[in-house]
This record gives sequence, structure tokens and C-alpha cells, in this order.
Amino acid sequence: MNVAEKYTDAELIASIGNQKDLNKAILYLYQQYSATTSSFIIHYGGSEQDAEDVFQETVLAFIEIVKKGKYRMEASIKTFLVSVAKNIWLNEIKKKERSGFREKQFEKGRDQQDTDVSHLMGDLEEKRQLREIVNKLGEPCRKLLMLFYYENLSMKEMLDHLPYENEQVVRNKKYKCLQQLTGMIKENPAIARQISQIVK
Amino acid sequence: MAQNQTELLIDHLDRSLLGLGSAATEQLIGKDPEAAQEWHFIRTAVDAVQNAALYDQVSSVKKQWLAQTSTARPNGAIVRTIYRNVMRVAACVFLVAGGAALYKYTTATSSGLYEKYYSSYSLNASRGTERQDAIDQAYNNKEWKKVATLFTALKEKNNKSYFLAGIADLELKHPDDAIGKFQQIIAVNVQSGGDYFQDEAEYYLAMSWLAKNEPNEAMPLLEKIKANKDHLYHDKVMSMSFTDLKILEYKK
Repeated sequence: MNVAEKYTDAELIASIGNQKDLNKAILYLYQQYSATTSSFIIHYGGSEQDAEDVFQETVLAFIEIVKKGKYRMEASIKTFLVSVAKNIWLNEIKKKERSGFREKQFEKGRDQQDTDVSHLMGDLEEKRQLREIVNKLGEPCRKLLMLFYYENLSMKEMLDHLPYENEQVVRNKKYKCLQQLTGMIKENPAIARQISQIVK
Repeated sequence: MAQNQTELLIDHLDRSLLGLGSAATEQLIGKDPEAAQEWHFIRTAVDAVQNAALYDQVSSVKKQWLAQTSTARPNGAIVRTIYRNVMRVAACVFLVAGGAALYKYTTATSSGLYEKYYSSYSLNASRGTERQDAIDQAYNNKEWKKVATLFTALKEKNNKSYFLAGIADLELKHPDDAIGKFQQIIAVNVQSGGDYFQDEAEYYLAMSWLAKNEPNEAMPLLEKIKANKDHLYHDKVMSMSFTDLKILEYKK
């Protein structure tokens, strides 16, 4: 972890896309691009902590965009990350209802590329709320669902990480955990309303 | 939504993630709004799990990155520490120096300096060739009042008698009288061009001004003695603290 591998933009996209050594890719993103976006956030009135948080969200959004195959490499990763960071920070400013002047100044500095990325990123606030719901799930369920849906482990492989007797128990537990999580999401009025509208 | 139908949708999602979705279930989702809604909730739940897991992973790398960057900048950290320490030391020095200066300022008094630097004049030591007369004897015996009386009774006064009488005045805590006598010696010498008891008169005149709490008057005399290496009292004045004298001047 001490020294990140060096990647070309294409190699980095490939590494993120196939989830090969994702930690190294994330570290590379931090080493190469965190300073640039941080100085930008601080320039627009953010604190160092804001800059850290925004870059974390930026990396998160970027990886999701790449995984979904939405990153077209029309701009360099650096340009793209800065655009994503700008969008995230603008959302933060709006959310915190900071000064209109600063927001207007910020809007002036946005270019076409910034506008392009916003729709790729989805509703960050909703994602944040959903993460909070996942975190409210008990640790056994949280771990089980992550092993299956994020680590892509099979039922058999999951047995090595969970205190269950056999695959069937794990499978049944997974049903229950996912339904529990679904139930919790249904209890969030804003998200439930949004899903209802999609279905209509 | 029935339990088995929910499980059917979950299985469909799991297979879809592997590219093995069921056409029948797809049809169900397309036709049944309730199933479609449940399907969206399940997908949202799975997206949320994946997003939360990715968030955890990025957080973990971020922590390592931050730890790495903080150790990779030891110089910066040390500079901050040294800087803080230097500032602390500087603050201590400043406080101590400030305290000392304040102490010096508040405790420096003209009479204090007079007590510190005044020493009795030893007649034998400086003018051993002089014939001792009555006033000399009284002086050597430290009979200050007798010196004053004999001086007043003298018909012919010279610089020496003025000087001894002046010292007697100082010993008797009459600096005003002493000042007059020492100034007389200096005036006589100016007039005659002589220097009899000149150095002694200058030094003890300065002491008399200090005794009278008039450091502004003492300073020019002391500066003059300090500047003259041949002056009898040069070394004595050089050993004085001119800082104290300046403080007294300032306070005045």
C-alpha cells in the first residue's frame, strides 16, 4: 500500500471496471488527484475536511460511473474527477444553503463538462440516505449482503466468513436480510415515493 | 407481495447479476405493477449494499492514504513541532525578560542606586601627602557633624575643605548641601583652570544628585566620567548599570 502502481487512464479504467486490485486503483486516485480537487474545494470556500469528504464522494461516484460503463474517456480522468467534485460541492453548497453569491460565482465557473457529469452521478443525497439505511441493518445481515452482492462470493465461499452451518442456511438468511433491508427502504418516504413514480 | 414471489424476484436479480435472468420473471415484472415495484425496491436495496460496501472500501484506502501522507511529511510535522517549541521558548523568554524588565523598572530608584554605588571617600588613600589638620582628623574619625562645624568655622576654605564638608553632608543625608559644595569646587577649577579635587567633586556631585533623586542631573556627569579613561572614577562608573540609570531618567 505504500507506493501506488502507475496507471495510464485506460489502465486505471480497466482496473476499476474489472475490480482487479481496486484498492491500488483507489490509492492511485488519491495520490494523483486528491490535491487538485482539494485545492479547488478550498478555493470555493470549503474546509480541508470538506475537501476530504468531497474527494471521497468523488472517488465513489467515479468508480460507480466506470463500473456501469458510463465513463466514455472523452475527457481525462483528472478533468472528469474535477467536474464530479464540482458537482458534489455544488450540491453541498445548495444543501447547506450557503451564500447565494458564492453559489452564483461557482456556477459561473462551471463548464459544459460539469453539466454532463451531473446526470451520470445520480442522486447523491439519496445514495447517502440509502447508505445510512444499510448501516442501520444489523452487522450480520450487512456483512452477509456485502459478501454476496459486493464481494461476489458464492454461498459456499460465504460459509468461511459467516457462523452458519450450511449453504441453505446462508441462502435463507440472505433472503431475510435483503427483505429486511427492502422493508427499511420502503419506510423512507422520499425513496419510496421516487420508486413508486418510476413504476407508474 | 407473497413471500415466495419476493424470493422469486430476489433469485431473478441474483441470476441477472450473472447475466442469467429469467424471461418469465421479466414478464411478471412487466405486467404486474406490484411485482415491478417490489423489483425496484429489491434492486435499490442491492444498489445500496454495493454503494455502502464501496464507500467502506474507499474509506479504508483513504485512511491508509492519510496515514501515509502524514508520515511522508515528517519534515513538515517536525517543523511544526520545532516551531511550536521555539514559540514556547520565545514566549517564556519574553515573559521572563518582560518580568525582569518590569521588576527592574519598578525597583530601580535613584536612592537605591546611590546606596549601591556610594562609597565613603578615603582621605588617606587619595591625598596622602596632605598634612592632616583638624578637619582631616574629624573626617578620618567619621565625625561628620564635626567636619561640618569645622568647615563652617574655617576662614580660608579650599577645594579640599569644600570636598570633605560635602562628603560629610552626604553622610549626614544632606545632599542639597553637598551639591552646593561640589559645584563650588568645579566652579573654582573652571575659573582657575586647575583640577584640584576636580575628579572627586564630579563623581560625588553625581552621587549627590542620585541621593536627591535627580538622575537627569547625575547622568551627564557620569557620562563624562565614563568617556574619560583618565578620570579617577572611570573604572567605578564603568561598573555601574547605565540601564538602571536610563530607567531612572525615563521614570523621571
